[in-house]
Amino acid sequence: MTAAASDLRAGAVARLRLSPPEWPLVAPLGLIFVGFFLAPLALLVWTSMHADAEMTRLGPESWMRFLGDPFYLKVAADTLLLGLKTVALTLVLGVAIGLIFLEASPAQRTALLFIIILPLLLSVVVRTFAWIVILGSEGVVSNAALALGLTSAPFSLLQTELGLIISLAQIELPLMLLPLLSVMGRIDPNLLDASRALGASRWRTLWRVILPLSAPGLTAGCLLVFASSTAAFISQSVIGGGRLIYMPLVIWQQSIVVYNWPFAAVVSLCLLISVLGVIGVIHWLGRRVRA
Amino acid sequence: MTRHLFNRRAVLGGAAAATGVALSGLPARASGDVIAAIYPGSWEEAFRSIVGPALTEASGVNLELDPLYAVDQIAKARAARGLAPFDVFVLDPGPAASGMEMGLYQPLDMSKLSNAAKLPQVFVDDFSIPVAAQVVGIAYNPTKVAKPAGWADLFKPEFASRLGLTGFQTTFGTTSLIEISKIFGGSETDVAPAMEKIKEILPQVAAVAQPSAMAGLFQQGQIDLMYTNTQTVATLKGRGVDIEFAVPETGAIAFVTTMHIVKDAENVENAYKYLDTVISAGVQDKLMQAPFNFIPVNGDVDLLDTLPMASLDEMNGFVRHDWTKINPLRPGWIEQFNREVAA
Repeated sequence: MTAAASDLRAGAVARLRLSPPEWPLVAPLGLIFVGFFLAPLALLVWTSMHADAEMTRLGPESWMRFLGDPFYLKVAADTLLLGLKTVALTLVLGVAIGLIFLEASPAQRTALLFIIILPLLLSVVVRTFAWIVILGSEGVVSNAALALGLTSAPFSLLQTELGLIISLAQIELPLMLLPLLSVMGRIDPNLLDASRALGASRWRTLWRVILPLSAPGLTAGCLLVFASSTAAFISQSVIGGGRLIYMPLVIWQQSIVVYNWPFAAVVSLCLLISVLGVIGVIHWLGRRVRA
Repeated sequence: MTRHLFNRRAVLGGAAAATGVALSGLPARASGDVIAAIYPGSWEEAFRSIVGPALTEASGVNLELDPLYAVDQIAKARAARGLAPFDVFVLDPGPAASGMEMGLYQPLDMSKLSNAAKLPQVFVDDFSIPVAAQVVGIAYNPTKVAKPAGWADLFKPEFASRLGLTGFQTTFGTTSLIEISKIFGGSETDVAPAMEKIKEILPQVAAVAQPSAMAGLFQQGQIDLMYTNTQTVATLKGRGVDIEFAVPETGAIAFVTTMHIVKDAENVENAYKYLDTVISAGVQDKLMQAPFNFIPVNGDVDLLDTLPMASLDEMNGFVRHDWTKINPLRPGWIEQFNREVAA
């Protein structure tokens, strides 16, 4: 067992350390990475260091304008919170679907996977506009609540944070499920039987066996959902409306409507840095759970 | 194992094939072409189906469209710095004034445009010709609300609760908010009174939305009042939505969408042929019909009776705005609107 593991590790190291003749094969990818990712990123940083919209002089004013303004700091915090809330909802839904997946027969699993992938085949614009129909005051949600007597007047979840989170959770759910199910599908059923045979309740099995073993999938899913929902410009602006202001909207306004590229660059970098920060925390949590 | 999966010959062969495929997809910039920026959506559809064939028939020039919003065109032309990404701009007044200040256009030689004399001359200048007019006013759902008499009505409780608001990101939004401001004591350069009024009715309004979402919200019955242009009203009406256009008592707002030849354009002669085709009576008349509903700019075209004026000359009496004054203030207004309406 240990010998096999060390063999594997040695193999991995050998594969990482490329011998000289293999470098040219990596070069195209490396050049693409430098040319189309690092260089634009450097350009973004350079743009952000200009003081005025016309980019005539360098200065920290654009950064100060963002970091010194409570309004923009709130926009940044709201954006991250939106991501976290969406992650929380997709996490609950994802684990629930994952448990169904765990109990399903192979044929049922295939069907379930097909249903999960299906929404990805639709454009996000179409899915977002469908949510206008669902969440509006004459929509399915409002009408259902009226019919059930839960409410006396039609209501609209459009332009509310709750409505936005619900629709984002649906839109981003496949990103949570695909990594999660691929990990959960590999859990040895014997471990669950063993847990039950040793007297653990269903909840204890979930907390002590299933979730720790699913941690890599959960982490990957959370990262994808978080990064994608904080940047979901279309859903944020169409479902969220004009009163919920998030960083992607500010970036769009500043770069495309008022041409203040330095300020747009500052907001973009702040979004990038704060999202990376949260992703770092999620990643760290994931590793701790596994450990 | 992995080492031999892709040998050098396979990789090089694959790369060569991929490059070949990519190159074959490059646009042909032959002499018979003109590359024109165009608004995505109905403009692109209209120009592809009407202007393209008309241009080929009239002068053998092939029209290639680059779908971009006005602000994206400016951004792209600005980012290209001297290497024209297309030959012709199509712009609304705000971005058109910005592009002028940035020196992105070349002067036009009107003698090369046989239809130039038929244009409403108030909208023609040395660097641009109008290609379509827009008239902005109030759209309302006649089955749900009474016809509003003017901008002030929007702020009465019975109207405010059905109103959809949008900010300064678009030309129709900016000009409407300016007109609202004028009613309450503001001016073309002072929108503070409008902001005050909006803050007052904010808890009641049906929606504050991004401009692109407005038509959808109206269609879904989420809002029954909005400020918009006649084209949006005609398009929604065409889809069976209960919607009418009301001219405010202080007058409807008129502005034109203009075309400009890019400063370093590659296909200047073809660009002139393109402009002349766009403003020809035949093309303008087709663009006016459903489903495109453009307001024509060629005086030879008989206007449809659904339009809020009988002749193009009446547009001289409509409210117009000076975008060289608005542009410097607009970034501040956009930011202020964000702050005021933020939940």
